[in-house]
Amino acid sequence: MQFLRSSRLPLSLCPVLLALTACGDPQPVAYRTPKEQDPVPPAAPVASAEAPRTPTGAPAPTDASTAMASTPVATATGAALAWSAPARWQAKPASSMRRGSYTVSGEGTATADLAITAFPGDVGGEAANVNRWRGQLALTPLPETAASSALTRFAVGDLKFAVVDLSGTANGQPARLVGAMVPFGGATWFFKLIGPDALVAQEKPAFLAFLQTVQPAAPTP
Amino acid sequence: MKSFFLELRDFFVSLKLTVALIAFGMLLVFAATLDQVNLGIWAVQEKYFRSFVVYTQAGGLTVPIFPGGYVVGGLLLINLVAAHVYRFTFKWKKVGILLTHAGLILLLVGELLSGLWQEDSHLRLSEGQTKNYIESYRHNELALIETTDATFDDVVAVPETLLAKKTSVQHPKLPFRMVTKTYYPNSVLQVRPANAPASEATAGFGVRTLAAPQPITYKPNETNSPSAFVEFVTTEGSLGTYLVSTQFVEPQTFTYAGRTWKIVFRTQRDYQPFAVSLVKFTFDRYPGTDIPKNFSSRVKLKSPDGRDDREALIYMNNPLRYAGLTFYQAGFERDERTTVLQVVRNPSWLLPYVACGLMTLGLLIQFGIHLAGFVGKRRPANVTPTPAPAATK
Repeated sequence: MQFLRSSRLPLSLCPVLLALTACGDPQPVAYRTPKEQDPVPPAAPVASAEAPRTPTGAPAPTDASTAMASTPVATATGAALAWSAPARWQAKPASSMRRGSYTVSGEGTATADLAITAFPGDVGGEAANVNRWRGQLALTPLPETAASSALTRFAVGDLKFAVVDLSGTANGQPARLVGAMVPFGGATWFFKLIGPDALVAQEKPAFLAFLQTVQPAAPTP
Repeated sequence: MKSFFLELRDFFVSLKLTVALIAFGMLLVFAATLDQVNLGIWAVQEKYFRSFVVYTQAGGLTVPIFPGGYVVGGLLLINLVAAHVYRFTFKWKKVGILLTHAGLILLLVGELLSGLWQEDSHLRLSEGQTKNYIESYRHNELALIETTDATFDDVVAVPETLLAKKTSVQHPKLPFRMVTKTYYPNSVLQVRPANAPASEATAGFGVRTLAAPQPITYKPNETNSPSAFVEFVTTEGSLGTYLVSTQFVEPQTFTYAGRTWKIVFRTQRDYQPFAVSLVKFTFDRYPGTDIPKNFSSRVKLKSPDGRDDREALIYMNNPLRYAGLTFYQAGFERDERTTVLQVVRNPSWLLPYVACGLMTLGLLIQFGIHLAGFVGKRRPANVTPTPAPAATK
């Protein structure tokens, strides 16, 4: 435009504009607060009535199944899986929730818990389940892509396993969770080994070998 | 040759500048709309509209390419005001135009002030829980909390931007210096495999945890999880390098000179001179469906001086306004016992309403004057000439 070309002003204003952009960084702040009564709660997904997001960007909702641990849900019935567990794992009675249950003992009194459960459908998808497990170790949820990329995959026959290895804290102690999920018969089966960090690390190879024994159960007559 | 000031005046009162700025504004909106696919709504607003200059990355360099929203809007404001002052002549029949323009000026000023002053935060409360702070949606801070005192915690909160720039932090309240060695704006934590190279961390969770950098996400329903390796250094040597991450919920602790600190990388907090408790969260669905019908939070406000101690009900379109903050019902958690309130501080929140009122009034007056003039002109023309009565003899 003529007036822009003829005028020296736009050019002379440029340094001013660039100077305006050079704003200072925020500085550390110091303050004193009464000691917190509440423990720091793990960040949990948010559901918004204006789904999928609150107007100014609250943390994203992930999936309803994140709260599954404390919510009564239907367990899967139908086709079952069978497995062969190491003899040193102490079998516990199955319950209405658990298809299989074992106590894995280590040195001293340290024990880890292996739970085998199955729920209808995909239970919200892999990422939601990874985040549910993360929540159990006081880790905050991950975006879907990151949660999925944390999974290691392998197949045993027709069964396609996705395994995640998480490290965090439980009851204030370092804890570790190795979890596997496998879709089978319209349900998702979960194999979760959780316990003290060192013990679960030691048992992880046995757990992975145990997963190799999982197969569809022979139909009952 | 025209003096500089005359040239300055002519530049700012020019109608061509108005047209150019409107064109720049349109281009800015167009480019920002396209870029929203890549950056998401928040980053686009910051990059294009709440900035003086729009930058781009070219071969590793940051290059200014276009005037930002503050420049375009600011110049438009100056142009509008200057043109009015320069050409101002008060006539009653121009009152409507003057009011409309005054409304427009107020709208621009309001947007500028909102951009500069408005702060969005949130408050997440479970039933029975009390908080005296609100939390940022997008900004994080590394809180170094000295827990030595039995009653109080002394907190030094370092903004994430200083970690990102790897600025060394030496605060008078801290007997050590904090040095950021590595920073990932988004990351995923994994158990450190046995064959992984040695961790940068020498203490804390980072010794056995691997932080893998991830691409920054701009998706509106995802959040970034930054991590950093920070070292605490005293005159006597290093106190250790820690991995800090917003994904750790449990704090890490260390002790120096008989004093204990907790390290927490968390969303940025803004402490308030009052406390809010959630008394009851209520959530109704349409019968037979999972569709939310309404949800509301009964909260209790309490100030330490006892002047305020009352309950308030917050629900959709019925926010609570208190101490310059507006608390909107924004969401809830799946347990349906935890509410999420959006907290907005915007001292200039009334300006857009006043501006729209002024513009409406101005346009009504302007069109009214035109209508009255038009009707006034038409009336004599429509009068059919009646023949003059014949003169009686």
